[in-house]
Amino acid sequence: MASRTATKDIITLRGSAAIVSEFFGYAANSILYNRGVYPEETFAKVKKYGLPLLLTQDDGVKAFIANLTAQLTEWLESGKLQRVVLVIMNKATSEVQERWNFSIETDGEVVEKGVSREKSDKEIMREIQAIMRQIASSITYLPCLDEPCVFDVLAYTDKDVAVPFTWIESDPKLIANPQMVKLHSFDTKIHKVDTLVSYKNDEWDEQ
Amino acid sequence: MILRTPPPRKRRADSSPNPDRRLVIYEDPPAEPEQSHHHSEQMICTYQCRQMVKSEFLDALSSAEKQAHDSESKLASLRDELSKAEAERKKFRDQCFYTEQELAAAKGREQALQEQLLKEVNNSQQRLKKQIHSYSELEVKLQNEMNLRKKAESSAASAEEKASLLEGKLSHVSETREKETSRLQNELVQLKRESKFSVTRISADLERMECKAKNAEEESALLKEQLEELRKQLNKVTAPILPHVTIVFDLIILLHQCLKEKNEAERKLSSFATQELPPTETNILLKHLQEELRNYESEVREAQKLKSSHENTELLKEKLLEEKGRRERTESELLKVSEIQLTAKKLEDELSAWKLMMKDIPGVACPDDIPLKFASLQKEVLESMLKVGEANSRLKQIEIALDAAELGKRNAVSEAALANEKAELSKLETRRIELMLSSVTEERDRLKNAVDELRKIRNVEAGGEIVGGNVLQELESSLAKKEYHIKELESNLCEQKEVNNRQHSERKLLSERLNNEAKRIKSLEREGDRLRSEISLLESKLGHGDYSSSSTKVLRMVNTLAVDNEAKQTIEALQTELQKTREKLQAVEELKKQSADAGTLVDSYISGKTVQLKEQIATLEKREARYKTVFADRISVFRRACCELFGYKIVMDDHQRSDGIPVTRFTLQSIYAQSDDEKLQFEYESGNTSILANDYTSQPEISHQVEIFIRKLNSIPAFTANLTVESFNKRTLS
Repeated sequence: MASRTATKDIITLRGSAAIVSEFFGYAANSILYNRGVYPEETFAKVKKYGLPLLLTQDDGVKAFIANLTAQLTEWLESGKLQRVVLVIMNKATSEVQERWNFSIETDGEVVEKGVSREKSDKEIMREIQAIMRQIASSITYLPCLDEPCVFDVLAYTDKDVAVPFTWIESDPKLIANPQMVKLHSFDTKIHKVDTLVSYKNDEWDEQ
Repeated sequence: MILRTPPPRKRRADSSPNPDRRLVIYEDPPAEPEQSHHHSEQMICTYQCRQMVKSEFLDALSSAEKQAHDSESKLASLRDELSKAEAERKKFRDQCFYTEQELAAAKGREQALQEQLLKEVNNSQQRLKKQIHSYSELEVKLQNEMNLRKKAESSAASAEEKASLLEGKLSHVSETREKETSRLQNELVQLKRESKFSVTRISADLERMECKAKNAEEESALLKEQLEELRKQLNKVTAPILPHVTIVFDLIILLHQCLKEKNEAERKLSSFATQELPPTETNILLKHLQEELRNYESEVREAQKLKSSHENTELLKEKLLEEKGRRERTESELLKVSEIQLTAKKLEDELSAWKLMMKDIPGVACPDDIPLKFASLQKEVLESMLKVGEANSRLKQIEIALDAAELGKRNAVSEAALANEKAELSKLETRRIELMLSSVTEERDRLKNAVDELRKIRNVEAGGEIVGGNVLQELESSLAKKEYHIKELESNLCEQKEVNNRQHSERKLLSERLNNEAKRIKSLEREGDRLRSEISLLESKLGHGDYSSSSTKVLRMVNTLAVDNEAKQTIEALQTELQKTREKLQAVEELKKQSADAGTLVDSYISGKTVQLKEQIATLEKREARYKTVFADRISVFRRACCELFGYKIVMDDHQRSDGIPVTRFTLQSIYAQSDDEKLQFEYESGNTSILANDYTSQPEISHQVEIFIRKLNSIPAFTANLTVESFNKRTLS
């Protein structure tokens, strides 16, 4: 995937897809922990990107995220993935509370011709680390989720993508008049990922 | 030097009457004697010619002087213009330097302000976060403590009341208990004595009764014999025997009664060491026995009372113990109350401190305002962040404009350098012109001197002709030179004028260019604002989640989590309900023993509910089993396909490393393997696959392949494919 050169590392399409899908897995876990979707005791600490991150130990959630990241890797390698959205909804009313939007721009030349790019691995890890820190600090301005919530993942793909048997077409689950906060982005020179969180206006803010 | 007697000159052959009044000097003949005669005539002619020449020369001189004066004045004006241009250039340069300095100062100030703002924003953010966190914690603590305090106070009050009541009761109960225990003890002692006496008495009575019973039996046997004899006698003599018969019957009846009483007495004796009543003293005995029975009954009652009092004492003891336990609990709670009071005081102090702090916070009157204030502060922080972003963008724009201004400045500097060069050139030109002027003035002075000399020579007429002719020639030549100089000066003047005009035009062009650049900068700024607003609009759309349905579709993974979780949750809920119903059933069964009616109703209700719950559990378990079977089927199909396509049986299991990171281990066995030991092990963790060393991979052939394909070429598929081919070859060859 990546081999070391003097100052920069060679990034291939496959390597970049693995980096992005792995990032999404860890980001999803971090969001589920920080937003309290699952209880704290169901998470275990691991070290990644130079930070202590929390991974769920629930078998069901683990399997779900593993299958998800495998499919995202496939779509990223084919250059068909445009966006991934993690949606947090009220369990009782199915009302959407938050949308964590990860937009992906793919370098078409790399997908068509199979060329590689150069970028330092450390630089990419630093960028991802900044995003993880921002996700952790988002609890200071995001409204509290008092009601029990569940999560779902939407993938925005090209129109000509074949739908796998574990996926179905869905509505985009939008929020009416959301508040939006743009977070940092990271770039592997093949895939550029922009992060943005939109959330429902809190009653306090409306007052 | 003009000769007094110039040499004779030859007449010019092609001379014509000169329109500009030039005099032709006739050649004197060579004859000397006629020289003096012609000399006077020539003197007259030359005087007139000289006069004419002088007048013409003077005119030419005056015109040359005028021209020189004009050129001087023009030179002066040029110099003035040059000085003005230099002054303007200096002024522009000073302005340029000043603007540069201002720009640098503004940049530095802006950077410092930005840094300060960022620091302040970060500090305020951190402070806000800490304060919010601490506020929320404190609020929760406060509420908990208040609730606890209230509960504790109420419980303490009730406990105090109970304790006081219980103490009173306790004291009363203890007193009564003591009294009763003493009384009961006395009674017990008495009863023991009495019972001993009664036991001894009863045993004596029993012996007596036994003897009496024996006697009664013997008597009854005798009586039976008598009866039989009497019957025999009766048979013989009925009439006189009747009273005897009645007596016998009475005796029989008495006997029967005695037997009954004996049985009763035996029964009574079995409970009080059996007694038998003699037939003769029956009534008295009966009475006595009845009295005794009554006594015994009274004693039994007393014993029962004793027993009940014993039980009461035991109950009272238990109550005492309970009350003691309650007392201890109330005492501990009282201690806790005191601790809670201390904590409440501390909290009150903290509250007052926070209230004082709240007063310091502007715009906050009560605790409810704090979250609003925080929300408003957060909004302000967000707005300030937005403003900071906008300021950054403006800074960048200003930097771009600065760069453009610097470029313009460089261009202006270069142009100023060019203008300087031109000014220097013009300076040189003016110097040259000055030199020329000085030469011209020298010539003029020289000519003036010549004129003076001519005048002097005019006064001395002798030998002046040749000198005048020479002087005239010199004057003509000098005039020609002067005219040439004047022409040169005029041409220089024209050039200078042209240069000045060019500089004016260049200045105008530069100012026009500056105006155009300024307009362009403004238009660029407007475009930048427009683009920024467009970007923000697009970002808002992106964030909102809008998409084009012609090129994009939204897919969602089927969330088996929710279904499984729901099933698990319902199963757990049903299991808890089952346990509860089982407990209820047990309680009901116990109640059933006491009352059958209530038990039947509850039984039916509980049984119906348990049936329902069991059915639900069964359906959920069936569903779970179905999911598992489907998944197992698909997985087995996938595994078989992988095995047949790639030639490896893959076994996957999860492990945890010593550092806590979960990893997945894959064990691969080739279908062409010749033994079960030929297994490859790989470890997969967050996208990275690595081979694990074992006995099989430590073999030289395999380790060589691992070295080449995995370590050097970094390709596991190539390694496995190569291994498959090699093992296939081995298998087929063998």
